[in-house]
Amino acid sequence: MKLLSNYIKEMKIAARGFYFYIEIVIAVIIVSILLFAISEESVSREKEFLFYEAEQELYDYIMDPYFKDGRLVRKESVGFKVKAMDIEVVDQETGEIISHHFDENTIAAETIEQYDTKTGKLDKTIYKVNSYEDMLHLSYSEQSFGAVVKYELDENYKIIDSYKYYIQGYETERFMNILYVLYNENPEVLKEYSDKQNVRVLGDMEKLNNRESMVPIFLTFLGSIMGIVIVVAYLFLDKNERVIKSFAVTPASINSYLFSKIMVILTTVTISSVIITIPVMGTKPDYLQLLLFLYMSTFAMSAIGLFLSSFFDNMTNAFGALFGVVLILLLPMFSYFIPSFDPLWLRFFPTYSMLQGYKTILLGGIELRYVLLYSFIYLIGGIIIFALANVRLRKTLTV
Amino acid sequence: MISVKNLSHSYNNDGILAINNISFDVAKGETFGFLGPSGSGKSTTQGILTGLLKQQTGKVSVAGYDTMKVQNERFNKIGVSFEQSNVYSKLTARENLKFYAKLFDVPTRDPDELIRLVGLEGKEKVRAGEFSKGMKHRLTFARSMINNPELWFLDEPTTGLDPTIAATIKDIIRERTASGTTCFLTTHNMYIADELCDRVAFIIDGEIVLIDTPKKLKLQYGQKLAEIEYFKDGKLITETLKTIDNADKSRIADIIKNYDVQTMHTKEATLEEIFIQVTGRGLA
Ligand SMILES: Nc1ncnc2c1ncn2[C@@H]1O[C@H](COP(=O)(O)OP(=O)(O)O)[C@@H](O)[C@H]1O
Ligand SMILES: [Mg+2]
Repeated sequence: MKLLSNYIKEMKIAARGFYFYIEIVIAVIIVSILLFAISEESVSREKEFLFYEAEQELYDYIMDPYFKDGRLVRKESVGFKVKAMDIEVVDQETGEIISHHFDENTIAAETIEQYDTKTGKLDKTIYKVNSYEDMLHLSYSEQSFGAVVKYELDENYKIIDSYKYYIQGYETERFMNILYVLYNENPEVLKEYSDKQNVRVLGDMEKLNNRESMVPIFLTFLGSIMGIVIVVAYLFLDKNERVIKSFAVTPASINSYLFSKIMVILTTVTISSVIITIPVMGTKPDYLQLLLFLYMSTFAMSAIGLFLSSFFDNMTNAFGALFGVVLILLLPMFSYFIPSFDPLWLRFFPTYSMLQGYKTILLGGIELRYVLLYSFIYLIGGIIIFALANVRLRKTLTV
Repeated sequence: MISVKNLSHSYNNDGILAINNISFDVAKGETFGFLGPSGSGKSTTQGILTGLLKQQTGKVSVAGYDTMKVQNERFNKIGVSFEQSNVYSKLTARENLKFYAKLFDVPTRDPDELIRLVGLEGKEKVRAGEFSKGMKHRLTFARSMINNPELWFLDEPTTGLDPTIAATIKDIIRERTASGTTCFLTTHNMYIADELCDRVAFIIDGEIVLIDTPKKLKLQYGQKLAEIEYFKDGKLITETLKTIDNADKSRIADIIKNYDVQTMHTKEATLEEIFIQVTGRGLA
């Protein structure tokens, strides 16, 4: 009850202040940019590492028409130097985990360029390798798309199999999955054979288009970084007005006071996230998952904000530290856009998992485990940091 | 209601004591005044008693609760008015009180009635941010009564208010304390202390110099002062001198002999004069 009246009061104050509107205005600006300035064009995969599980004759038979019409162009073979690494592959279908150990090596690959027949533009470069293991090793060390393409013929020389196991090289190793996906660039073939095959159609979940791929960035930015700064701004506004002192001489706990602040952040973040997500993504994502992830991550971030604020006694002094933390937290965004920049230490940043989590949810929530696990980590981490902030702020807020 | 033993406080743990080894008791129903000049440690004492400042030494019990332990429910019985007003400027007067009332577990008073009581009627829907300093102060004061406190802390309740409003506030305090509310009142205004307090403590530089009833203090120190008005170089000068002090006695004789004395009478000492006599310093 006290939490509720605290929350109502905080919302009134927020609605009469300007931070609230800043966040909404920013959200409106972002969604306008996304809708009007960024095209829906697919992101080019640029590089693909493919292993064709098919006889050379069959491969040639299927592919020759494409080479003839100029869609595919053979280039000089290249050798990739790859480091030693261990990879665990979780088979999405069976849940089986297969461990692979790879030594340092140089892998030779046939280079094929794929062009868009309409525009004549280079679509992507395909590196054809000679084994599943090479594909896996290369795809992970190059942080790029990798797949197995399988073709077989039945006794009437009809193609009976045409599917890919595919992986995205930039998934975290732990949660990487092999997904059984029909190769959806050729829907006719797919239709014709899908009845016969033990394959699961997962739709076109594997890619976000240009515009959609920006959404996780902004959700992460608004949900957490704005959360950190604004929760602290609210706190110091109160401290300036000395109202915390008056609160401290009531039977209500500082706990509920602080948590009501976080609830205000959660409310504004919900509004701004909805403003951005719905116009761009429509009904594609699972909004329940999105909200869960949004609330848990924002809660953890706001707790961090409160904890940081306990080391300072006004906004001016706190601003430098907050600014620094915000800049550091932005680092994983580089990795989001530059897949080859993905050092291990970056994965310990909460914003890293937030970006991956949002992406997963927007893709259609195929890796629910990832979303749930990180929601849980944020919740536990958030509770611990919130408790610490509480203890510290109890001492410093009323002086 | 309040028991304080050997309480000291240093703000930065630097050995500089804002209050130094003070002890006193406040009985149920009593109005206890803390009288002392600015910076003497009055607000610091209230801060510790109300749990806003962390208690460092000594033994303090307030409304039956040990202040070393955190027990929020004690605030159901306590009301606190602050020296510096602290209301939400973005909330209206009524919203401020309504919200505050919800934080208590005991029956609370009607916000509008309290607003009327402190002379802010008609301002219920005005945001506190638009209030003058004095109006905010009155709202802070009104808020301290919302839970009908048994124990009431008032830090400089009339400071900065114009005289008619100060009189209203004094009436409210008198009324409540007459009906049994225990009151810990902090002030550097001797009239307030004199008019409202059953007992006063003189505090200076963080130390309590004396505790007594205003009446006894005046009996003890009063009737022993002579106030002389005289002309010196065409200007009217007033001097207050002790009739029992030898140096002052010869000063009186000196004035009568050398100047044109306008008026001269003995008078009852004010608390301020007693304060000066006892501590050697004024209240300003
Ligand atoms: N927050 C603070 N930090 C450090 N010193 C303080 C603080 N508040 C008050 N003091 C010092 O403590 C002493 C007592 O102050 P205070 O209790 O406010 O006096 P009063 O209420 O009698 O005017 C003063 O010397 C004052 O400067
Ligand atoms: Mg004071």
